[in-house]
Amino acid sequence: MAHQVHAYHMVDPSPWPLTGAVGALLLTSGLAIWMHFHNMTLLTLGLILLLLTMYQWWRDIVREGTFQGHHTPPVQKGLRYGMILFITSEVFFFLGFFWAFYHSSLAPTPELGGCWPPTGITPLDPFEVPLLNTAVLLASGVTVTWAHHSIMEGHRKEAIQSLTLTILLGFYFTFLQAMEYYEAPFTIADGVYGSTFFVATGFHGLHVIIGSTFLAICLLRQVLYHFTSEHHFGFEAAAWYWHFVDVVWLFLYISIYWWGS
Amino acid sequence: MSMYRQFYALQQVARRSISSSVRRQVENKVPQKQKVFQEDNGMPVHLKGGSADALLYRTTMALTVLGKYTCLCNCFKL
Repeated sequence: MAHQVHAYHMVDPSPWPLTGAVGALLLTSGLAIWMHFHNMTLLTLGLILLLLTMYQWWRDIVREGTFQGHHTPPVQKGLRYGMILFITSEVFFFLGFFWAFYHSSLAPTPELGGCWPPTGITPLDPFEVPLLNTAVLLASGVTVTWAHHSIMEGHRKEAIQSLTLTILLGFYFTFLQAMEYYEAPFTIADGVYGSTFFVATGFHGLHVIIGSTFLAICLLRQVLYHFTSEHHFGFEAAAWYWHFVDVVWLFLYISIYWWGS
Repeated sequence: MSMYRQFYALQQVARRSISSSVRRQVENKVPQKQKVFQEDNGMPVHLKGGSADALLYRTTMALTVLGKYTCLCNCFKL
């Protein structure tokens, strides 16, 4: 058997890029078909295929790192760069929606009444549920840092407890935000105020759900002894993502909820 | 009277199972997994876990082919 003389990871041939690409194709074309012909077949198929791809691809990465030892320091460095670049791309994604918000709110048109919030819009009180949401996410930032230190110090039970608390806080945020959406006196169809509000906060909420899911996977892996005190990059990536989600909320709160009211 | 006895029995069972779940520890199966996935059997990582891997792979691939075909049909129909 030939042995490699370098520290890099030559991955086994994998079918997941192909299945993922077809899944993305089905999702996008399925979305178009659903909108025009009210048929959900392609869309559903695309969603299932993407979920299957994500599960198996990430399962394989866990196998390669934790069970096969392929995540050497240079490989881990590459994974770190990758996660940082991904989060940076997400920052630009949100920047677009903030641009849209400021474009409309800094110079409100006569059609809106020349003011912001526009005439007829009752904005949400920033010092009620939105402030609670801010506290919840800030607290979750503390608990995820507590979880990280627990992992680094080899305190298994504390790591499990603090990680669980972080996830619960994430769910609490999602629940509170869902209630706010239900009770809001305006909808997405209420002009540019509704559009900017619900698209920006909606995508943020989606990222909270994604982040909570990532943390939940990390909790499962921590329970299964995958993380060591020196090597737990999966958890670090989840924590970085969670802090990013928290920071986006702070910008949303200050811009849309507070200044925008 | 028997209803009270049944409730009491249920309470005892609940107490016993809760306290035993507190003491239950998840076993560290990582060394076993490491042995399975480091075996020199030429299998790629996405199939190395056993027959469940193959089943899931075949299902995913079948959906991929089906999906691609359905998409092509719809595109040409349009």
